[in-house]
Amino acid sequence: MRIDIENLRVAYAGRTVVADAHLVAAEGEITGLVGPNGSGKSTLLRTVYRHLKPAAGRVLLSGTDLRELSPARSARHVAALPQERGSDFELSVREVVAMGRTPYKRAFASEDATDRDHVARALADVGMAGQADRRFTALSGGERQRVLLARAFAQDPDVLVLDEPTNHLDIRHQVELLALLRGQRRTTLVSLHDLNAAASVCDRLHVLHAGSVVASGRPREVLTPELMAEVFGVRATVVDHPLTGDPLIAFDHRAPAGTEEPATIRTAAG
Amino acid sequence: MALTLARRRTGGAAPEKRGLPAGPLALALGVALLAALTAAVAWGATSIPPAEVWGVVWRRLSGEAPRAGTDDLIVWQLRVPRALLAALVGAGLGLVGTAVQALVRNPLADPYLLGISNGASLGAVAAIVLGLGTGGALGIGLSGAAFAGALATFALVWAVARRGGGFAPLRLVLAGVAIGQFLSGFTSYLVLQAGDEQQTHSVLFWLMGSLGGANWQLLAVPALAVPLAGLWLQARARGLNALLMGDETAAGLGIDVTRLRRELFTVTSVLTGVLVAVSGAIAFVALMVPHVCRLVVGGDHRRLLPLSALFGALLLVVVDIVCRTAMDAQELPVGVVTSLLGAPALLYLLDRRLGSGS
Repeated sequence: MRIDIENLRVAYAGRTVVADAHLVAAEGEITGLVGPNGSGKSTLLRTVYRHLKPAAGRVLLSGTDLRELSPARSARHVAALPQERGSDFELSVREVVAMGRTPYKRAFASEDATDRDHVARALADVGMAGQADRRFTALSGGERQRVLLARAFAQDPDVLVLDEPTNHLDIRHQVELLALLRGQRRTTLVSLHDLNAAASVCDRLHVLHAGSVVASGRPREVLTPELMAEVFGVRATVVDHPLTGDPLIAFDHRAPAGTEEPATIRTAAG
Repeated sequence: MALTLARRRTGGAAPEKRGLPAGPLALALGVALLAALTAAVAWGATSIPPAEVWGVVWRRLSGEAPRAGTDDLIVWQLRVPRALLAALVGAGLGLVGTAVQALVRNPLADPYLLGISNGASLGAVAAIVLGLGTGGALGIGLSGAAFAGALATFALVWAVARRGGGFAPLRLVLAGVAIGQFLSGFTSYLVLQAGDEQQTHSVLFWLMGSLGGANWQLLAVPALAVPLAGLWLQARARGLNALLMGDETAAGLGIDVTRLRRELFTVTSVLTGVLVAVSGAIAFVALMVPHVCRLVVGGDHRRLLPLSALFGALLLVVVDIVCRTAMDAQELPVGVVTSLLGAPALLYLLDRRLGSGS
């Protein structure tokens, strides 16, 4: 299944946060959402997992407007990993993962073999099968994130929506989590802060700037020095990664764009 | 309800000691509750043998003519309604505590945090002091005033909390606390205005919680409200679980979060109002019962709700026995005993849990 976002406008507390956004997450591809802080990435994703209602425009799931489906019905197709990390309520790892079955269950129904199957497989997929009875809040940050990802897997979705899933993870856990996503081959819509991670993992990128999608395409087409200067306000050059051949963005960490060599930047921005 | 409890599996690399299976635990609590109810009816100023207790109950339920004598009066008119009221109020407090803790996503929240009980107290105290109730006696007039106070407060907190959209937990708590404090200021003023010592005494007693007003008539509303609220909550146990993880996560799991919050707030407020109206503001039970149960069976509401109801019922029946029998000359307010016994018990449990390093 695929996601098409058409003319999306989202307002939050009376302010337009996302304006007239168009975006595609193609079947089986990893689609990345990048952009500076406050550019509207999280807001846009929240309309896909129906935490926020669009003020205008549509989110289509393989052609069907999500709002024509009941919340539970659309949650069977779209699973989310928001930035929330839960609170201390004595939940075990298995209980957290089993929450992924919520959209499939009627009131009073207990878990059946299918549910247990999905939960066990999701735990195994993220390498937490042996930890199912641990208390969720006793886990490390990396383990927690993997459990929350397992909860999304247990939802058996056609589309995964992830908001900054690598935040607060050390580099090894970042790599592991992104490798897990690549291995899934589900339609995935993910926002990422790390442009180099986005460049190697995503099949397609959408760049958000001040609530609008300003560039879309393959990472190498999109992540240009000009865009770095214009959208992110930094000087950068793009080279080939010596190990993988992916685009590697080398930033100038000494000065933001525009403070040095103003003539070059003007050319780039123009 | 015990039938819907999910089975827990134990084992795994790093088991934590929450392995008590919920089914047998619920059964044990149920048996203990029956025993406690029997003891509550048997013990008192006049002791009645347990066999005679059940004899009276059996004759009444099977429609046989009750035997003449004081036993029938004491058992059927005084102690059975009181024991049942204790069980219903305890179960209700266990349920409402569990629900409110999920509603505001804080394991240490208390239904009284939402201001509802302050409103109920103001209503009750106004009835006593201003003579709105039936001559200041603990009765339907007083309960009616308390419930009216609870509903009025609910409307007020609702109006404040809904602004800005979505009944956000923090907004709900802040609105509840602020309005609750405002109302309890009025209550304190009214207490000071109380005409005589007897009035002051009955006001204070009511504020600390009492089951002394129990009669069959008073039982009707909680006997309907507590099971209904319990079923309603049990049907939404998965939604409550999802709320614990956060609003966005719950939305992603297909829960209409705003609607669930709105309904939860309504159900918990009405139930709190019913409970406070028949028993006063009994402290600590709604906070402690879910917390203790969570330590034992974990946070999944499908197990937590029925166990909290059972444990709350058992606890309050036992506490009321203590209240009636601890001192010869007078009865203790329920709230005094729940606080004195409950706080150390909770501290002990927390300490043991921290000590085990989990």
